[in-house]
Amino acid sequence: MENSAVNTLEAAAQVLMAPPNLVSSEQRHQAESVFLEFRSTKNPYQLCREILEKSSSDYVLFEAASLIKTALIREWNLLSADDITSLREYLLSYLLRKEAPPFLKEKLLQTIAVIIKRGSINDGGRERKALLEELEKIILSSPISQQKLACSLILAIMQEYAITVKSADVGLIWEVHFRLKKSFEALDLKRIFRFTVSILEQIVRSGHHPEGEQALLTKQLLTIVETVLCWSHVSPLLSKRLIGAFEAIYESDTAPALRLSINWRDTILQPELIALFFEIHMYVRATPQLASPSLTCLVQLASLSGIVVFASNLKQQYLENYVNSFMNMLAFIQPLEREMLGISDIYRRLVQFFTPAMIAAMPPAFLQNLTSYTCHCIRGSIIEEGVNEDTVWRESLNKFLHTWCSIVHDTDGFSNERLVSPCIEIFMTYLQCRLAPPDGTRGTESSDGCGDDIKDDVEDDERQLHSNVLLTIGAIARKAPAHCCHVLYNLLTDRSKRLESQLQLMHMGKLQIVTGGELVTLFEDLHWILMITGHFLAVDCTEGETVMIPSEIVQYSMSQNANIDASLRYLVGESNSTENVDPILKLVGEILRISTWECAALEAGLASVFSPELSATLSWLLKIWANSYLVPQPSQYSEVLEVAFGRGSRGVAWVVGLVARRAAATLRHLSTQPTAAKHALMLLATLAHSHHKESPLASCEEFLALVAWEAAGSNLPGELRRELHRAFAIAATFAEGDVRNRLLGSTVALQDKLMNIINTEVDTEPVRTLLADTLDCFIGVTEGVLEVGTMDEQFIMLMGALDKIPAIIFRYHNYPGVVLPSLNLLAKSAKRMLHSVQPQNVNKFLEVCNTTFEVYMRWNSGKISSIPQDAEEEAYEDICALMEVISSVSRCGAGCGAEGAWGGACARGLRLLLPLITPPLLALPTLALRAYRMLRDLDHADQVQYIWRGGGACARGLRLLLPLITPPLLALPTLALRAYRMLRDLDHADQLTNLPLEDFNMVITALRVGLTAVSCDVSTLCCDTIVGLANKVRILGDDNPYAISLLSLAELLLMLIIKMEIPPDSIPAAGAAIYALTCVKPALLEGLARQLIEAFAVNDPANVPRLEEAFGVLTNGVLFDGLRTHKLRFQDNFDKFLASVHGFLIVK
Amino acid sequence: MGDIEDTHFETGDSGASATFPMQCSALRKNGFVMLKGRPCKIVEMSTSKTGKHGHAKVHLVGIDIFNGKKYEDICPSTHNMDVPHVKREDYQLTDISDDGYLTLMADNGDLREDLKIPDGDLGIQLRSDFDSGKELLCTVLKSCGEECVIAVKANTALDK
Repeated sequence: MENSAVNTLEAAAQVLMAPPNLVSSEQRHQAESVFLEFRSTKNPYQLCREILEKSSSDYVLFEAASLIKTALIREWNLLSADDITSLREYLLSYLLRKEAPPFLKEKLLQTIAVIIKRGSINDGGRERKALLEELEKIILSSPISQQKLACSLILAIMQEYAITVKSADVGLIWEVHFRLKKSFEALDLKRIFRFTVSILEQIVRSGHHPEGEQALLTKQLLTIVETVLCWSHVSPLLSKRLIGAFEAIYESDTAPALRLSINWRDTILQPELIALFFEIHMYVRATPQLASPSLTCLVQLASLSGIVVFASNLKQQYLENYVNSFMNMLAFIQPLEREMLGISDIYRRLVQFFTPAMIAAMPPAFLQNLTSYTCHCIRGSIIEEGVNEDTVWRESLNKFLHTWCSIVHDTDGFSNERLVSPCIEIFMTYLQCRLAPPDGTRGTESSDGCGDDIKDDVEDDERQLHSNVLLTIGAIARKAPAHCCHVLYNLLTDRSKRLESQLQLMHMGKLQIVTGGELVTLFEDLHWILMITGHFLAVDCTEGETVMIPSEIVQYSMSQNANIDASLRYLVGESNSTENVDPILKLVGEILRISTWECAALEAGLASVFSPELSATLSWLLKIWANSYLVPQPSQYSEVLEVAFGRGSRGVAWVVGLVARRAAATLRHLSTQPTAAKHALMLLATLAHSHHKESPLASCEEFLALVAWEAAGSNLPGELRRELHRAFAIAATFAEGDVRNRLLGSTVALQDKLMNIINTEVDTEPVRTLLADTLDCFIGVTEGVLEVGTMDEQFIMLMGALDKIPAIIFRYHNYPGVVLPSLNLLAKSAKRMLHSVQPQNVNKFLEVCNTTFEVYMRWNSGKISSIPQDAEEEAYEDICALMEVISSVSRCGAGCGAEGAWGGACARGLRLLLPLITPPLLALPTLALRAYRMLRDLDHADQVQYIWRGGGACARGLRLLLPLITPPLLALPTLALRAYRMLRDLDHADQLTNLPLEDFNMVITALRVGLTAVSCDVSTLCCDTIVGLANKVRILGDDNPYAISLLSLAELLLMLIIKMEIPPDSIPAAGAAIYALTCVKPALLEGLARQLIEAFAVNDPANVPRLEEAFGVLTNGVLFDGLRTHKLRFQDNFDKFLASVHGFLIVK
Repeated sequence: MGDIEDTHFETGDSGASATFPMQCSALRKNGFVMLKGRPCKIVEMSTSKTGKHGHAKVHLVGIDIFNGKKYEDICPSTHNMDVPHVKREDYQLTDISDDGYLTLMADNGDLREDLKIPDGDLGIQLRSDFDSGKELLCTVLKSCGEECVIAVKANTALDK
């Protein structure tokens, strides 16, 4: 009989694997059904053995191996111990006897591992121990192919024990998985480690270079050791969820730190062990596949922590031992490119896991090697930038710099004296790599010798792109301030002189005005010197952090004890003598000199020559410098810095004047260069922002001149003008008296311009462009005013402009170029402005919103346009802006007294807006996303109730959105998530049960779709929503139409759970949903169980008792009263129920 | 401060010129520009540079406002580009002639009969709406000597 079965299967396999032109789809279906039937065979072990022995079809062999595994899990409880043992022995002997193809081998090994794991529940690991002994024997004495197999089996067993939370070995509850893992860890992990290490030692000592089979065996041994060292030793005290997170790390690329328990002490702290691992690495490093696991082992060993080295002397000894071996290796080898990442990781982990004092006590070679490898990586990464393919060097450099970051900031680590010379070496290497010859090597590194030294296809902002590296290089440079300051000063002086002479020659007409060649080299040099200087002088903080002058700089300045008068005279350019001049002021003076040269060149008509990139870098440098040096806390200063830039000093006004003049020149002459102009504006905004009541910028004539320039029509592109007005508005907030009036003049001019346009009869393209620009500028004002939060003339002027929006939209409704900026202005204002507590302001603003909505609708509802893509986009952007207004109104309305008015405004807006969001528009995912987000915001802000009263807009919105929750839409994960989160939130807000039955049914349909979605988040949300609904519906009684509709979900949910079609992470939520539903109708679960058992009795009578038993477990001792105790008991039962049901029902 | 020059407005209807110049960097997205001799709406604007230390160039992508075709151009940011005068006016639809011409009435009561029913779905919709007795408002786009109806809207909501 078996022979014929094998033949049938082989024939079917042939059909399945045949190309489509040879078999019909009917034949294929038939063949498939043969295998489907095969997979559900009961007690198939004998048959499978037969197949394994006789069949030559790969497909059939694989199916047989898979069937053994699933059948074992399914029928475990029905099999006798002897049967299982004989099966295991058979499988092992089969593998040893036959050369099975890899896919088959893997499956069978996994099956043996599952048997071992399941068996160890009862025998406490006895059999596992016996098997390991057997495997060890094989590894010690058998032919090499069998040794390899034994290693693979050890790995398979480890894999089976490693993962508990997401274990594929179903049929056990998590607690059992975890207990098994812990017992494996305690009994066998160390033994495996010691044994494998001893074999590796033998191989290394044999002295033969690993080749062929031997290399493969070595690799497997290394992988075993690697797995042990990367093992996640999780504390049993953590929750399941946390353990899951740990195991996720275990599966990712970066292994967790090596945290070992006390019983590893005798193994891991043996001095020879570390030396051996380094020896192993040196032995295998020439072979990439072997070098990778061995290097990982070394990296893991560098992170030893936990109770095993709790005593600090042990830790110290371990570190010394490790570092000695590490240094020996480095002395002996020339690291390969692919080893850099590992070496940098070792350094990083050592510095991270051992105390700074211990690290500082290491032999000098530690720091020397760290320095030279960092420099090596700097050179490598800069060559790599030019090639742009790989990032190995840059990643290694990042790790090294990470290490340096800790070293230079740890105060109880290395002394400053020891750090000075390594820091100088790194700093100089970086600098040289960035500079052109003769000072540096830029452009000479590339192998072909003709590489372009300046990359010109940089799309990101250069200053941002390199900021991470430069931040650390700056910190390193500050450890040797005297040297670095001196070098930077000399470079700056030299380059500024060269720039000066070049520009002067061009200006006098003695040099042809061309960009390129020498000038570009000069620009690039300056660009880098200035970037490095910037990071040396100050820390480029993100907004919101308190900025300070770095302490090393202040100390250095103090230690120099310079002559204040001489320093100031040098700073402002009154004297050229550098004698007794403070070094920091010298550096700053040089920067200001370069900026003066730039300014002069621009004003002399050389704008077409000057580099916009360099101009941007200068603005950036002045910005971060001004941020920390101008007028901060007096205690941060050295005396000379205090006199130069402290509160009320003349230096501040002088510097700000200079900087503002330069920024103004940049705006005037480089307005067509976006990078340069943008950075100049950022500089102005920073200056305007930083000094509160005594803004030196506000009183600066150069800056005030910009107000008049802009009012007269500056010709700046729109977005830049907007930024400029933002700067004006910020400065005006901090200014007083006449200056304030002059600054406010910028807004007055805007207002006049707006009125001029509104009052003119002329309607032409230039007018409309001007109008759009003016509206954009008002956005700048809004942002400026509201950033600092005042409500006065500025606010009134702004209201004056907002007031006109409905009229503008009415008149220009056919011109999206005007409508969109108008709506944007309203949206941006709503976002920030509504914090005003004065009710008359709020009401006025809400009135503007309402009128705008109505005017917009009047012209746009029901409009059909001819050019679809155009129309769609127009409507899309408008609607986004309108939704932003509504969202902001609802957010600000929450928590302020007049909710009614706010809710009313939202409701009216929504009522008008919702009909505009037509299905074709909602098919645009981003728009749909925003729509859902808006509804959710409304709900969060508790506006829904008011909207509800205000005309059922929410219900209408839902009715509009619900039909769209369809499977194709669910393919967009974020969108689906939003939609279901909204439903859940609405449920929390008691809104869903208030819906008309018809709509409620739509919600149920949506939930049905959501439950079958593959996304874990969505199904969890659906289950949560069901729980909420059930709790509410319960009060209505189980014969209520709402309850009936809701309960219709129960069967689907149960089937999904049983068939494991719901994502594993949603299972707890699904359990809660089943419980909540049963609470609505206690007979529900029993009925479903009966139904299921009856269905089973037809197909699979043998399993009926097991199923009955499982349902018995599920309801055991649980009352469906909705109280916590019973809910929790049900959850426990539910876990057990699942484990047993999945054990025998699963047919994948 | 305060004394603002009166902005000088020219009318596009005078017939002098169909376009006017504007510095490339001052163009804006959603605005208009002439690309390859056609009036276009700017749908994309990006800048690039000639070398790292070179000056900016603007890359423009526009859609022909009449036929929806896409055009591209690249231009130094300091140069000028031509911007078309564009007008969009609303007319009430009073009749459709047998040969497909629309009778349109402007706000001031003037009638015109020189525009044909638009092609495509819009035209079909327009005719069926008109036949079913709806009062329709037509938006007419005019630029560079071309003119056509680009949008239709039922007029029922108006003037209530």
